[in-house]
Amino acid sequence: MIEVKHLIKVFEGRGQVVRAVDDVSTQIAKGEVVVVIGPSGSGKSTFLRCLNGLEEFDDGQVVIDGIDIAGSATNLNAVRREVGMVFQHFNLFPHKTVLENVTLAQRVVRKREAVEATDKAMALLTKVGIAEKTNEYPSRLSGGQQQRVAIARALAMDPKVMLFDEPTSALDPEMVGEVLDVMKQLASEGMTMAVVTHEMGFAREVAQRVLFMDAGKVLEDAPPAKFFTAPKEPRAQMFLKQVL
Amino acid sequence: MPLKRRSAQWPWQGLLVVILLGLAVGLWIATKQVNYEWRWERVPQYFAYQDEVAQVAPFAGRVVKIDADGAYSQVHMLPSAGGSPVLITVETDTLKIADGAQVAEDAEIGATRHWRVGPLTEGLWVTIWLSFASGFIGLIIGLIAGLCRISKNPALRGLAVLYIELIRGTPLLVQIFIFYFFIGTVLNLDRTIAGIGALSLFVGAYTAEIIRAGIQSIPKGQTEAARSLGMSVAETMIHIVLPQAFKRVLPPLAGQFISLIKDSSLVSVIAITDLTKSGREIITSSFATFEIWFTVALLYLLVTSVLSQLLFWLERRFARSD
Ligand SMILES: Nc1ncnc2c1ncn2[C@@H]1O[C@H](COP(=O)(O)OP(=O)(O)OP(=O)(O)O)[C@@H](O)[C@H]1O
Ligand SMILES: [Mg+2]
Repeated sequence: MIEVKHLIKVFEGRGQVVRAVDDVSTQIAKGEVVVVIGPSGSGKSTFLRCLNGLEEFDDGQVVIDGIDIAGSATNLNAVRREVGMVFQHFNLFPHKTVLENVTLAQRVVRKREAVEATDKAMALLTKVGIAEKTNEYPSRLSGGQQQRVAIARALAMDPKVMLFDEPTSALDPEMVGEVLDVMKQLASEGMTMAVVTHEMGFAREVAQRVLFMDAGKVLEDAPPAKFFTAPKEPRAQMFLKQVL
Repeated sequence: MPLKRRSAQWPWQGLLVVILLGLAVGLWIATKQVNYEWRWERVPQYFAYQDEVAQVAPFAGRVVKIDADGAYSQVHMLPSAGGSPVLITVETDTLKIADGAQVAEDAEIGATRHWRVGPLTEGLWVTIWLSFASGFIGLIIGLIAGLCRISKNPALRGLAVLYIELIRGTPLLVQIFIFYFFIGTVLNLDRTIAGIGALSLFVGAYTAEIIRAGIQSIPKGQTEAARSLGMSVAETMIHIVLPQAFKRVLPPLAGQFISLIKDSSLVSVIAITDLTKSGREIITSSFATFEIWFTVALLYLLVTSVLSQLLFWLERRFARSD
């Protein structure tokens, strides 16, 4: 579903050159859940953002469902429709109600009729457990509720892949569970997912593979059972010691 | 939390009243010193006045009957040349002839009165519509220039910067002269068009900066969320960024518009009869210099404060989703 070949992203600024993603190659199969972990600043977010072209990469190739996203003939907007993204800070549209947040892109991008978009939105909001808040504005919702709306908003586009960038990091501890539950359900339904997270429990339970990143490189790529019990890399061992 | 001590307000309010009274007395003494005679009663006629239109006999003939019906009188005239009587209506107090009188053709029988709009009202109207037209065009110019200003294209960005700097770095009065005497002559523009053009360009440059700041104040996450849903740059602008930015720029934008109403008084230098020019014209005939200028100032104040109130109301309505 996703193929990444020799991906390189360099940030240059104020005399500093940061190789945020440094020659990463990997692939994610259809229905697979891959968790990306690593210390702060290791390039996890940048890697994820390269997958839907939010970040323009410098070299390498990202192929999603057979389409090279940096190809000269590629319509990036058309690719992004198929790739949902959930952000650390939710990024809901504050001037739209919950329902409008979920219907807007359906109407504008997918050109769905109002009735169809609303039905779809209601079904998804029910699924993530906030059907009763449809007419509220996002600012009136708790963090956990907002993040679930954000997931519903991404799902409304019927994406083939979902990218999550630390979806629970900005949440109060008691709200982490409700968001992870939604993600687990999604995984069990066969959604292809790439998840950057510090929730090791989620990685252990749901992921098929764990990628460990440090300094822009993927140092380990292993099933969670193997990664959490017997990491090969010393830096991965150090990292696990700190977080577990 | 400790209780906030409410210090007494009334001594200060009393002082305020005393100061204001002092100012009024000072003003009165000052005008006494220059022997100025206030003639406020002359002012109302410049808002609206009654125009008398003389009614004349359409032919030579004789008045056969006058029906005085309150304010109006119906004069029945029989032509000397023969034929049926004709009815002429005039105001009773302007009636110049008596019943049974012989009148020549074109002789004045009386007059009718009509309300006419005075020059102050006309000037106020010109100021208002001039400001609204320039404000509207300026908003569009500002929106385009503001978007160009943050565009990735160096040519668009350069043009926008040049435009904004040129306008903000020169006085409006000079811009109006250049627009009227240079551009207006080259393109053969009407003075009103030149005035609106100069004001629009002027307000557009300031609007562009306000809009740029407004757009840039919207967090990047909003754009990223919209783009990752597959929206194009334009769709993101229209549905996500601009509506939010608009809410934030409404207060400075309205402030700019209120300034525009005041700045529009400068177009009187190219002989557009706005409120200021009307005031100047009236003074040459009425000699009520102080009264007219005070009235003109009051009219500007009236328009700007009505707009301020409107803005206050709008802001409160827009605050709904916060
Ligand atoms: N827009 C940017 N401009 C310059 N440097 C950047 C930019 N975004 C990220 N970086 C740098 O790239 C590196 C990788 O950043 P990234 O956000 O991908 O890390 P991360 O693994 O997601 O960290 P965290 O766990 O803190 O979110 C960091 O050194 C960061 O400073
Ligand atoms: Mg990150």
